[in-house]
Amino acid sequence: MLEPQPLASFFKHYEMKKLSIVLLASLITMGCGRFSNKDEKQANEQRIVCLAKQYNEIIFALGAEENLVAVDLSSTYPPEIKELPTVGYHRALSTEGILSTKPTIIIHDNNVGPEQVMQQMEKLEIPMKVFDAPGNDIPSTKDLITEMGAYFGKEEKAVAINAKIDKEMALAMENLKDYPSRPKVVIIHYGRASNIYLTMTSGSNAGKMIEWAGGEMAIDGERGMMQLSAEIIAKSNPDVILLTDFGYDRLNGMQEVKNLPGVSTTKAAQNNRIFRVEEHDMVYFGPRTGEIVMNLQELIHKNEGL
Amino acid sequence: MLEAKNITVRIGQKTLLDNVSVSFEPGKLNLIIGPNGAGKSTLIKVISQQLRKHEGEVFYNSENVHSLSERKMAQMRAVLSQNIDLAFPLKVWEVVMMGRYPHFVETPRQIDQQAVEEAMEFFNIIEMAERNYLTLSGGEKQRVHFARVLTQIWYPKEGHNRFLLLDEPLTFLDVKYQFQFMHKLQELLENKDLVVIGVVHDLNLAARFGDMICLLDKGQLLASGPKLEVLSEDNIRSVFQLEPILYRNRVKDTVHLFFE
Amino acid sequence: MKAFNNQNKAWLMTMLVLMVVTFVFSMKLGAITITWEEIQSTLSKWMSGQEMNLQERIFFQIRLPRALAGVFVGASLAVAGVLMQALFRNPIVEPGLIGTSSGAAFGASLYFVLGAVMEFNAGEWTLPLAACLGGTLSTVLVFLLAQNRSSGKSSVVALLLTGIAINALFLSGVGLLSYLARDPQARSIIFWNLGTLSGANWISISIIGAITLICLLVALRYAKPLNALMMGEDEAVFLGVNLKKLQIIIIALNVLLVAVATAFVGVISFVGLVVPHLLRLMKGSDNRFLLLGSALLGAIMLSLSDLASRLLLAPAELPIGIVTSLVGVPVFIALLRKKQYFF
Repeated sequence: MLEPQPLASFFKHYEMKKLSIVLLASLITMGCGRFSNKDEKQANEQRIVCLAKQYNEIIFALGAEENLVAVDLSSTYPPEIKELPTVGYHRALSTEGILSTKPTIIIHDNNVGPEQVMQQMEKLEIPMKVFDAPGNDIPSTKDLITEMGAYFGKEEKAVAINAKIDKEMALAMENLKDYPSRPKVVIIHYGRASNIYLTMTSGSNAGKMIEWAGGEMAIDGERGMMQLSAEIIAKSNPDVILLTDFGYDRLNGMQEVKNLPGVSTTKAAQNNRIFRVEEHDMVYFGPRTGEIVMNLQELIHKNEGL
Repeated sequence: MLEAKNITVRIGQKTLLDNVSVSFEPGKLNLIIGPNGAGKSTLIKVISQQLRKHEGEVFYNSENVHSLSERKMAQMRAVLSQNIDLAFPLKVWEVVMMGRYPHFVETPRQIDQQAVEEAMEFFNIIEMAERNYLTLSGGEKQRVHFARVLTQIWYPKEGHNRFLLLDEPLTFLDVKYQFQFMHKLQELLENKDLVVIGVVHDLNLAARFGDMICLLDKGQLLASGPKLEVLSEDNIRSVFQLEPILYRNRVKDTVHLFFE
Repeated sequence: MKAFNNQNKAWLMTMLVLMVVTFVFSMKLGAITITWEEIQSTLSKWMSGQEMNLQERIFFQIRLPRALAGVFVGASLAVAGVLMQALFRNPIVEPGLIGTSSGAAFGASLYFVLGAVMEFNAGEWTLPLAACLGGTLSTVLVFLLAQNRSSGKSSVVALLLTGIAINALFLSGVGLLSYLARDPQARSIIFWNLGTLSGANWISISIIGAITLICLLVALRYAKPLNALMMGEDEAVFLGVNLKKLQIIIIALNVLLVAVATAFVGVISFVGLVVPHLLRLMKGSDNRFLLLGSALLGAIMLSLSDLASRLLLAPAELPIGIVTSLVGVPVFIALLRKKQYFF
């Protein structure tokens, strides 16, 4: 009865876990250095901890970052934000960790966890703020900016930002006339795990941006992202493939990207139309969205007709 | 006194024991013999209740075993089998102490410790008391288990018999150990309340040391009684299908058995 | 006369002292600095029922329950490990073997993915309840499927193999759910599967604490039969063990210990495997000693792991399952290489 089966099951179990550990380890190395950031705003009277990447970009755009003392790990824009202390991944928070930054207010977008930690903070009556506007399309993002502008006393700046968004979006729509073709685009997020690709769909924020940029998402879907096999990527045969920074940087250059199973046979690979994009440009709307859409227009129509 | 009445064991279509009735006396070495497949092992397993699916009844001290709990049984009946190994390392005395488990609740009492010490003295294993059981040789291990099994029924109980069942405990042991073991058994049988029932494969050993013999063949009881009666040329010839030569010594009450 | 009694009292006392010291550190250290004076004032205010300030409330509502969670969860997982290894007569068995933790993980994942859709709602207790139900369900399933139809008896080999099968089933269920889940839900599943003590509160601590203590006391009464089982099922029966009853009780204890602990803190691996192992190396395999010793050493190990998980990246947090795996895997491999047990 002392057969080796228990060991087998045991390691199988850890095989499962390995994936998540790799994921976490990469999160940690990605944020490496950020964990040891020093708090340089000890004297501030108002101390804000903000746990949402979209909010954080808007806070910086409004110029309201003075009292921001800590952020979550996935907030990576603008670059200066990486100098702030981080309280970890937004779904693996700890009450004490957050409170040790002595916040006077915690701002989050409800996409935070674990649940018990949020309940603990409620019980301790730590002030928390969630803005009303969901920020999931352009009008709502503008509402969000107005709301945040009012909250931080930067109303004028908010109006200016919204005007910029409107202007740049209008310009982007105008530019569309110069791009008659509608290339099919696949956006692969996060590189790959055993040749399964985490892919953004037409229903995602990135999908909307591609549409505005005059492209067509090759992968349909309600959910923001889907795990897809190499075969589906190959079959969708996109004209353009965009890889987000994290996945792209893990591979050694363009040649390796082109050799990926599923990717190698696509028109995108044959015509050199694979490009790197920043994740934080693609996953939420914000002050730079118009600008980003214009860049995407250029990117997805590049090398056309080759 | 231990009685087995009308024991029948069937597995599928096969009848392993066919209506066997036999009783065993205290103070005697009762041995069950027979060729392979005769049902020796099955009979001892029915008696020890390791095998519970059978027809017929088994009585310990005239009590039906079905009315006894495992613990009650364990307080008066000990079983020594072959080749017992441990899943984890334990000290020798810890193994011997297991024999006292049916008698105490959580921690050993003084009397349990005394039984353990006396049994280890009796089997000459006292100096290895602190050793890791897993590092012992086969013969040493079997002595440890003999000690363990005996501590289980170390103290007599007024008006009751104690029962020691041996399920081929000598298999794979050297001749030296086999004889040592049988001599120890004889020494133990000075306790007149002790009922010892054993299955032995070696006919010579049975002939040399047994008092009462129970001879099985093809699941049926052929003969049982004092060995000088049971171990007759006719009986042996018909069961083992070999021509025996028997040397009986009625004064020393021993039989030596050879085959042509 | 030589006393044949376990001379392990000194060991147990030493470990008890170590556990208290670890607990004090675990209470004192963390992302937020808490002084001895604050601890003192918190306790006196608690006893006199006075209003606490924020710092004191953080200590009382966050730190203290968390330190206690380390003690209780560590103890319960290690005790469950001893029970399972003894029942299966195998030193490389861990408490999750008969499906409890994978079932709990499945229950929790189901909650994460379907939580919004399901009508079923018990407030903050929904997640622990879902996990606990999942753990119990999978274990009962293993137990029923392992029953031999003709004899009504389940041999440990059958339990073990069925456990492996059901584990695989529920883990792929977890995999399927995280595949179907939206991204944030999938992340919740991943992090839950790595465990954290950060959510501890007084109610969960009372439940885990009571279950741990009761189960330990009951388990101690079965230390003897479990020792006897080391020689095999037949020999145990000869020593007066009611095998069926023993199996049911040990499995029930394991479900209670693992399902409840897992329900509140997520999946924490290796504690239940490594702690009994370490003790065996030090002091042999007597289950009475192992149960008491594992409760203490488990508490020490998990408290230390939790300290690491909250201090290493403070103010961020490392899931405790990663810390226990990082410590546990090398220890486990070292143990395997020692071949102490004649597998």
